[in-house]
Amino acid sequence: MDLIKKTNIDFVSSRVAIFRTSVIITLIGLAATFLPGMIDLGIDFTGGTQITVKFANQSASADQVRVAVGSIGYGSAEIKSFGSTGEYLIRVNETGRASEISAAIVAGLQKSFANDTVTLLGADNVDPKVSSELAFDSALSLFLATIIILLYVAFRFQFAYGLSAIVALAHDVVLAFVISVLFNKTGLLNLELSINSLAAYLTILGYSINDKVVVFDRIRENREKHKGMSLVDLVNLSLNETLSRTIITGVSVLAALLVMVFLGGDVLEGFAFTMFIGIVIGTFSSIYIASAFLIWYSDRVQHKNVGELHTKKA
Amino acid sequence: MSSKTWSKWLLILLPIVAGAYLLWPTYNYYRMNQEREGLLGDSAALESWDLANGEDFAKARNARLKLGLDLRGGMYVTLEVDILKLIEESADPLSVDEDFTNILEKTRAQTDNTDLDVLDTYLVNFRASGKSLLQYFPLSSSDEAKGGDPEKAIEEKLRNDAAGAVDQAMEVIRQRINKYDLSEVNIQKQGARRIAIELPDVKDEKEIRALIQTTARLEFKRVMMTRDLIRTFYAIDNVLKGVVAAEPVVDTTAVDSTAKAKDTTAIAKADTATKDTAAAKVDTSKKNANPYAGLSDDEVARRVKRDYPFSYMLTGLFAQSEKSSFQNFDLVLKKAEDFPEQGIYNFVVSGTVLPQFLKYLERADVKRAIPTDLDIVVAARPEGTPAKDGTPEFYNVYGVVREADLTGDVVTEAFPSFDQSSNQPMVLMEMTGEGGERWAQITGANIGKRIAIILDGRVYSAPTVQNKITGGSSQITGATSPEEANLLAVVLKAGALKAPVKIIEERVVGPSLGEDSIRRGITSSILSFALIVLFMLAYYVWGGGLADIALLMNVLLVVAGLAGFGGTLSLPGIAGIILSTAMAVDANILIFERMREELYAGKTLKVAIDLGFEKAWSAIIDSNLTNILATIPLLIWGSGPVRGFAVTLLVGAVITLFTAVVVTRAMFTLIAASGATTFNIGQKRTA
Repeated sequence: MDLIKKTNIDFVSSRVAIFRTSVIITLIGLAATFLPGMIDLGIDFTGGTQITVKFANQSASADQVRVAVGSIGYGSAEIKSFGSTGEYLIRVNETGRASEISAAIVAGLQKSFANDTVTLLGADNVDPKVSSELAFDSALSLFLATIIILLYVAFRFQFAYGLSAIVALAHDVVLAFVISVLFNKTGLLNLELSINSLAAYLTILGYSINDKVVVFDRIRENREKHKGMSLVDLVNLSLNETLSRTIITGVSVLAALLVMVFLGGDVLEGFAFTMFIGIVIGTFSSIYIASAFLIWYSDRVQHKNVGELHTKKA
Repeated sequence: MSSKTWSKWLLILLPIVAGAYLLWPTYNYYRMNQEREGLLGDSAALESWDLANGEDFAKARNARLKLGLDLRGGMYVTLEVDILKLIEESADPLSVDEDFTNILEKTRAQTDNTDLDVLDTYLVNFRASGKSLLQYFPLSSSDEAKGGDPEKAIEEKLRNDAAGAVDQAMEVIRQRINKYDLSEVNIQKQGARRIAIELPDVKDEKEIRALIQTTARLEFKRVMMTRDLIRTFYAIDNVLKGVVAAEPVVDTTAVDSTAKAKDTTAIAKADTATKDTAAAKVDTSKKNANPYAGLSDDEVARRVKRDYPFSYMLTGLFAQSEKSSFQNFDLVLKKAEDFPEQGIYNFVVSGTVLPQFLKYLERADVKRAIPTDLDIVVAARPEGTPAKDGTPEFYNVYGVVREADLTGDVVTEAFPSFDQSSNQPMVLMEMTGEGGERWAQITGANIGKRIAIILDGRVYSAPTVQNKITGGSSQITGATSPEEANLLAVVLKAGALKAPVKIIEERVVGPSLGEDSIRRGITSSILSFALIVLFMLAYYVWGGGLADIALLMNVLLVVAGLAGFGGTLSLPGIAGIILSTAMAVDANILIFERMREELYAGKTLKVAIDLGFEKAWSAIIDSNLTNILATIPLLIWGSGPVRGFAVTLLVGAVITLFTAVVVTRAMFTLIAASGATTFNIGQKRTA
């Protein structure tokens, strides 16, 4: 099979418009996520106690569960249904003894719903102190990883490339985050931000940088091969030459992730979903964010002549 | 075949063999576990299965790929030593006043949600109040003797106590959890003040919480190792005999009961026959008519277990006096009267039967069989250095007085040191004035005898009293290593100071969620992987087939590497594997796309292969290296899940470089070397 023939698509002419649109969308989205109640921070980051229960006969509705939990003395508890029907997530602000709280709630629910069987799927209890440390550690390690990426790409290519990669990575992670937060509101998947979902964002980061490096590598190679070609031409040529690889890799990985979104179960599905959108964004950003920024930066900041696009008629 | 071809084959096959070797225990474990689980209802079959396969099973379990708690269910607890509580408890309760409590409260408020060092903050607050530490904290007698600034000495002591508290809490918890025989408990120190405990397969969380949070009990008890102890062992046998016989393990046929009758007569005869000297008498079995004579080894073992269910587990050591050497003996087919009254007795139990041994001791009927003034306790640690080759370790068994002669709350200080003259490690221990007086009485009355130091029912040391110890300062020698002395000091301190711990994080994953997530996770991962394999095959035909082999190898090696390094596979780890697999796919796609370009440019197969790899190489190395380097800060600073991701990504990226480039290339080279001029990597057919 050879689906993608040699192409000569003009990617760069529309770069400014698309770059601007994407950044504006990302920023608006980011602002929207900071509206109160938008971000569903998991208990890893908020502290508190969270238990998940399952009603075997699915006889209880979320409201009934709320009433029942309230009657046990946890009136402020937050109830969310997730995964398959009959599974609820109950979050209590109290940070005490998870096993005692969970035992009390399960026993109380069992009593209120006598004709159903309530099983405890899991219980977490995190001290607010631990959660703030967790957030700090995660942010620190993520920041340092980004710096290392910047340094390595700058060392292997040029500083402008490293910076472009970082700009694109920031864009990818933020946009993936925004979409996750918004999608979480649909209630179809549990996408609250937990320490585990952090791994999904790290995966996006890893995949995206891989994609950028492949494109940059082509630019680096073409720069040697076609001395005197303008940067704009080089970028467009390289994007076209790597396009078949970009699409094939992207499609095969996305297909694999899609299987996990639909069949992965409670634990994997949210994870796979975040990665899925992240990889779509990461592929797009290699073309319209990283490359566009590279041209803009070389032109406006480094005052290099990046030239105009000369599309050869194929 | 040329040597070059050979080396290529080796490159391809060797990693597969290595991967399979590393994963063999994992396969073995799950196979055996299934077998064992099938027997769970049948205690007789289970016992014989354990006897036959127990060692292999344990070995496989240790070397298998472990699943994280998020995938298999279990309990995760993080404990923090409460330094303020520790300070509060160190203070003299009579001197505590409102100012003291205020400073504590102020420090608690300041440090509750910050990373400030609690002790430092406390000391700053204390200084600000203009008070003297001496007003609240007692100065130990040795510090007093040393002279110097008492304020500094108290500060130093508080610092040491804070630092030692984590070790102490860890030791206490480890010992307790081991007692429960919870498989694969993982206890780790986290930073300076925290302990992380991972407990898979927990059935009763409440019990575990109680276990973790109750304070330890340190006792001093005189060791009573006389012939009477042997009598007690036989009494326990008698209690258990009925119980064990009632279990289906032993078939009580007519033949057996006659054999039993023979046994008793034989022993009775032996009893009257043996009234010789001690040393010779210790080994009496040879002289006596052996009721087990003529039976097969298996049958003898079975009967010994039936007739001496408790004492068959013990091995005795006997010496007539301190000067003579110890001789081994066993207790089977003997009576207490067979043994000399005078002499030194020691007993050990093998680590392999220790859990059973301890279980028997917990039984109410066994407890009743033990004289009211006696208690049987086992050492906390095995004798000597742990054996590496899997030979069983031995634990000392002690008979001690039931009522503690002294409890640990009289200990004020304990620290490891070295004997000036012999340069041997030892422990220095100090007691309160009142405790010291009682200690002097006890030691004075028991010179030459041994006193066991017992924490939570397990013996940490049983030193012999050399002389009457007055003034409350004791030296405990006999530790074989500085680590051992250190441990003993930690244990002794547990009596002085109950390291207060609080649970700051607790997670429970129900086994049902664990099971379900494993099943769905595995199914969807296999499907995803199959999808990629088929896609590569469809798109790159034969080339895709080779890439698929490399991909399979990639996953095999990542998982094998994780098992080999004793890593744990958790959910974030799966994310790492997904990313590294994606990059391995990408590497192959990069190579094939380049090869096609070269083939379209009219190059021969061999040249296209070489150029394809050469040109794709820089992109592959740069992207994988970027990711490898980026994992470093995640490994160093990231917490649990972030680190779990980084580990699999690191291993995965390194292996990708190997499989996607080296292995795939070796396969292509073999094809080119075989003289092929065309190879279908899905390129357009050119005329």
